[in-house]
Amino acid sequence: MTDSGTRILLTGNHAVAWGARLARPKFMACYPITPQTPILEKLTDFQTAGKLDTEILTPESEHSAMAACISASLTGVRVFTATSCQGLLLMHEMLHYASGARAPIVMCNVNRTVASPWAFWPDQTDSLAQRDTGWIQFYSESGQESLDTVIQAFRIAEQVTNPVLINQDAFYISHALEPVDVPAQETVDQYLPPFQPEHFLDPKRGESLGNVVSQEMFCQHRKDISKAMERAISVAEESDAEWQRLVGRGYGIIEAYRCEDAELVITTMGSMCGTVRHAVDEMRSRGRAVGLLKVRLFRPFPVDALREALAGIPDVLVLDRNCSPGTGGVLHQELKGALYGLADAPRIHGYLAGVGGVNVPPGKIEEFVDQVQQSEPAIHSVWAG
Amino acid sequence: MELLKIEDRNLFYSGHAACPGCVEALAMRHILNTLGPNTIAVVPPSCTAIICGAQPCNSLQIPVYQTTLESSAAAASGVRRALDAKGKHDTTVIVMAGDGGTYDIGFQALSSAVERNEDMIYFCFDNEGYMNTGAQKSSATPLYAATGSTPAGKPSKKKNLTEIMAAHEIPYAATATPAHLADLVRKVEKAKNIRGTRVITILIPCLPGWGLADDAGIASARLAVDTGVFPLYEVEDGYRYTLNQADRTRPVQDYLTMQKRYRHLSAEELEEVQAAVDRSWARLVERSTAVPVE
Amino acid sequence: MNKPVPAIWTTQTTEVVRTGSWRLALPEYVNPPAPCHNACPVDGNIAVWIRHIENRNFRDAWLTLIDNNPFPAVTGRICHRPCESPCNRGQLDEPLAIRNLERFIGDTALEEDWSFPEAPVSKEEQIAIVGGGPAGLAATFHLRRLGYAVTLIESQPELGGVLRYGIPRYRLPKSILDGEIQRILKLGVNVRTNTRISTQPDFEKLRSEFAAVYIATGATVPKRLSQLDYSQPWVIESASYLEQTNAGANPQSGARIVVIGGGSAAMDVARTARRLGKEVTVLALETEPLMPAQRDEVLEAKDEGITLIDGAMLQSIADHPQQGLELTCVKAEFAAGAERGEFSVTPVPATDFTVNADTIVPAIGQDPDISGLQDLLETEDALVRINERQQTSCDGFFAGGDLVATQRFVTVAFGSGKLAATEIDRFLQSGAPTRDLLPQPEVSIDVINTSYHPRVSRAEPQLVPSNERQAVFDEVELGLSVDEVLAEAQRCFSCGNCTFCDNCFYFCPDMAITREGNGYSVDGDFCKGCGLCVSECPTGSIIMRQETQ
Repeated sequence: MTDSGTRILLTGNHAVAWGARLARPKFMACYPITPQTPILEKLTDFQTAGKLDTEILTPESEHSAMAACISASLTGVRVFTATSCQGLLLMHEMLHYASGARAPIVMCNVNRTVASPWAFWPDQTDSLAQRDTGWIQFYSESGQESLDTVIQAFRIAEQVTNPVLINQDAFYISHALEPVDVPAQETVDQYLPPFQPEHFLDPKRGESLGNVVSQEMFCQHRKDISKAMERAISVAEESDAEWQRLVGRGYGIIEAYRCEDAELVITTMGSMCGTVRHAVDEMRSRGRAVGLLKVRLFRPFPVDALREALAGIPDVLVLDRNCSPGTGGVLHQELKGALYGLADAPRIHGYLAGVGGVNVPPGKIEEFVDQVQQSEPAIHSVWAG
Repeated sequence: MELLKIEDRNLFYSGHAACPGCVEALAMRHILNTLGPNTIAVVPPSCTAIICGAQPCNSLQIPVYQTTLESSAAAASGVRRALDAKGKHDTTVIVMAGDGGTYDIGFQALSSAVERNEDMIYFCFDNEGYMNTGAQKSSATPLYAATGSTPAGKPSKKKNLTEIMAAHEIPYAATATPAHLADLVRKVEKAKNIRGTRVITILIPCLPGWGLADDAGIASARLAVDTGVFPLYEVEDGYRYTLNQADRTRPVQDYLTMQKRYRHLSAEELEEVQAAVDRSWARLVERSTAVPVE
Repeated sequence: MNKPVPAIWTTQTTEVVRTGSWRLALPEYVNPPAPCHNACPVDGNIAVWIRHIENRNFRDAWLTLIDNNPFPAVTGRICHRPCESPCNRGQLDEPLAIRNLERFIGDTALEEDWSFPEAPVSKEEQIAIVGGGPAGLAATFHLRRLGYAVTLIESQPELGGVLRYGIPRYRLPKSILDGEIQRILKLGVNVRTNTRISTQPDFEKLRSEFAAVYIATGATVPKRLSQLDYSQPWVIESASYLEQTNAGANPQSGARIVVIGGGSAAMDVARTARRLGKEVTVLALETEPLMPAQRDEVLEAKDEGITLIDGAMLQSIADHPQQGLELTCVKAEFAAGAERGEFSVTPVPATDFTVNADTIVPAIGQDPDISGLQDLLETEDALVRINERQQTSCDGFFAGGDLVATQRFVTVAFGSGKLAATEIDRFLQSGAPTRDLLPQPEVSIDVINTSYHPRVSRAEPQLVPSNERQAVFDEVELGLSVDEVLAEAQRCFSCGNCTFCDNCFYFCPDMAITREGNGYSVDGDFCKGCGLCVSECPTGSIIMRQETQ
């Protein structure tokens, strides 16, 4: 480890702002929405104080913000932005557009309940509803992890030429204050080479983007994007390993915590991982063989890693702080799909826990474990408190 | 006879897919001739997008970024800021959008970019309808015009984009047509040398959309100006009006009867249209002759 | 295996798409005749020389003019301008003042002392021309330019015919006429004035000495009114009156002169007599609008204080010792006949009136003197008969001008002489007639895009005020200034003659028209056949040609 950083008490949002600042983006288009606003405000503070040399555009909507991010990225500059729930949903058309245009934008989304009805609580439906848009997606457990993941995201995005979304839960992460190790600028400069895309908008080059294509071209393009997604797994692993080497912090694309000889592994994403981690420690101290499998990289879905990690585990309990009406918990569905046909596959239980921001304390998680170990797995996701 | 003197810079290539006689393609040609090669264009779905060509071909020598229908002004802002971040302040950023992507779905983004006085030239090719999708109405379609979605004639008036832009007090707003090439070129040249948001609305008679013969596009645009239906004027900083034509020389009927989309017009409706043109002309004359309060 | 075409980021231009396959018609640059050209008796390429004027190339304008007419300063004053009524500009505002522009060029050429390009004698055959009036002079010029040696024979002491002996100085100054005649003679012409060729033996002898003979002796025998006793001293024939006054003499006459006739000669006599202080009345058979004189002449005559009695005829004259002549006249209905020169006259009952005079000058037209030719050549009525090759019935004899036609206009005579020169050349060089070009349809106003021609009034030359014209024979109509000429030239539509305005080049949405050498070319690979180039052409020089696939 070579980093000579500093330790600052930061909220998750401010940690994200620091991560973005250190990556030296040259363009940000941002529209404020609770609970993302402190990210935008911190970045404008950095700019006003002369600490961040960038163009900040404040358009009239998130759709326009993403539209501007895409074109700026395609003009050949590094781009960052942030949003939440309604804003992310409003961007939906442009999210597809960004990945189709191969624009390596990095965006932070603060997971918040989607309207209607109106609410401000942590819920991951907003970003999970974007899982088909072609963005690489990370789910962060802490402010520290958010900062580190934002920086890793630029490296991954620029290597596979694909946009990356980093998600952190509303309030539990975004507004919770923690000591955060902020790496030195030199470390980040070393880790992130200057952005030099192969193609960009320039009168001297004359190349254009967006002209209408044939069926074969479109199909080939989707194949190319899929291949980039496949590559993203190893690139994400490598980027995380390199970051670990530089600053001593790495997270993996999934993390198996105390899963050795576990009888039951709890799988979840985001802030819930922190609660589960605590509950696992509690249960282990009382002799229960329980572990946590944290899914950090959600897109591309780390199928191989999950199959390897969960083969031979008797029971897996998926905790989904989200609900896709008509199909239930998204992680539950995706995991079932990923493990299908695995020899020695676990029984998979899917619980909808914390939907709408309902609090799930560690005691509750023990209860879930009790329930699950005494019952057959239901086919559909189960509403659990 | 006034001779045209426009330097032809070969920035627009033949082989593009515009309809025969399309005067939007003609406008593009001369806009590019005036702006030169150090330009990047943002284009939403529109006839312009089709004219730009099918992948991997480009009919323009300059780079063109095609964005979504709502977002031309936003995307152009992104390009502008990115160029500025790279220190390329001399590269001109333009939008070439239709009236659909400007008056309607793209209006919000435009108003915002204009409020921020983003440094770009926004060209609206106003053919008064969603022509690329088969001639449905837009808010730029004039009163009584028949379109794919208003076959009996549109019951509402045309929005006045130039006046809306003037109300935003942008540095430069103007109207132009491809029939008045010297005037168009002068305005593009003038716009090029101004910083901030410049919006030029160009009337584009659409041959299939309006019901005109292949060789009638220029004549129709000329009549639009001569009858006062589409006056040529400029507004600087929102309050200094300059009318670029001395007077109207033809009745509105001469312009309307050339187009199939007005075939059904009754005598009363025609009178109403003439009266409306008379009123808005009078207002324009009043504004252009008033001494501005500085 | 080929690398697949990328779905994003373009790699080439659209020029691989040959949109020329879309079209049904292709533009074609054409050069159809302008209406002025078609109407001009000398086949003048009017749009072309006006364009030279517009470009301030006055010498090039002159060289274009003299290709067809060596007398621009003359015709610029007296031509009856058949070119101006069909002028397409007239359907926008007013026709071009073509004659005034021609006068400017003619006068400039005289002021600058420009000479004709040299015309060396290149052919063996020699031509004789009998008659040094307009037709004969024109034939001389054109034959010299074709390389023939020419002998010009004239019965009068000086060359010019009606130009010198008929038309008064206030319409055509002698210095102008002399200047343009001299320029022709400078090409090298064998002139024999004071030489009359009038008998058959005279003509036959001439024929034996020359390869061809052109007879252009004009119309010098006055027509006569049966009501008039020409032996009386108070009758002076118009030709004689004008010959005397053009020589500077004042013919003996009383104070009151009645001129009978409605044509140019009658006006010339009347206005000359006014200048000599006479009280003048013109008695014309035709109503004023139908008088054969040029309209300007009639108006100027009236301005000068001449009394016009139109639509009336002379019935009888009584000679009273004290009061002088008393003419009994009656209103008459005049109807022109089917053939030019034919007419019927019907006196209107109970419309008798009298006019008093001292002298009568009948000016009702002239006939050719064919007395010496009747046994040599075929004649019809009072004219020598010719075919379209200008040939008479006798081999080697050609004829033209007033001798062969009833159209009594100077410019028509110039055209006649020019045509004869071509036909004599054709006769001598090949003997066999060559195929004539079919006339092309002329440019109509419909193909002129008039929006490129803002309305501008026609240039009007200044006239000397009528009260300043008394007793002087100076020119009445003045020339246009350079600025007026340039402004007037800009009004010309240049029908059928491309002016290289570049409209077609600039208005093509497909860049399918390119500038090439002296003009334009159409790129068939990309032209979609929309026709914008044709609709925006201000001269009618492009058409759409249907293509068969």
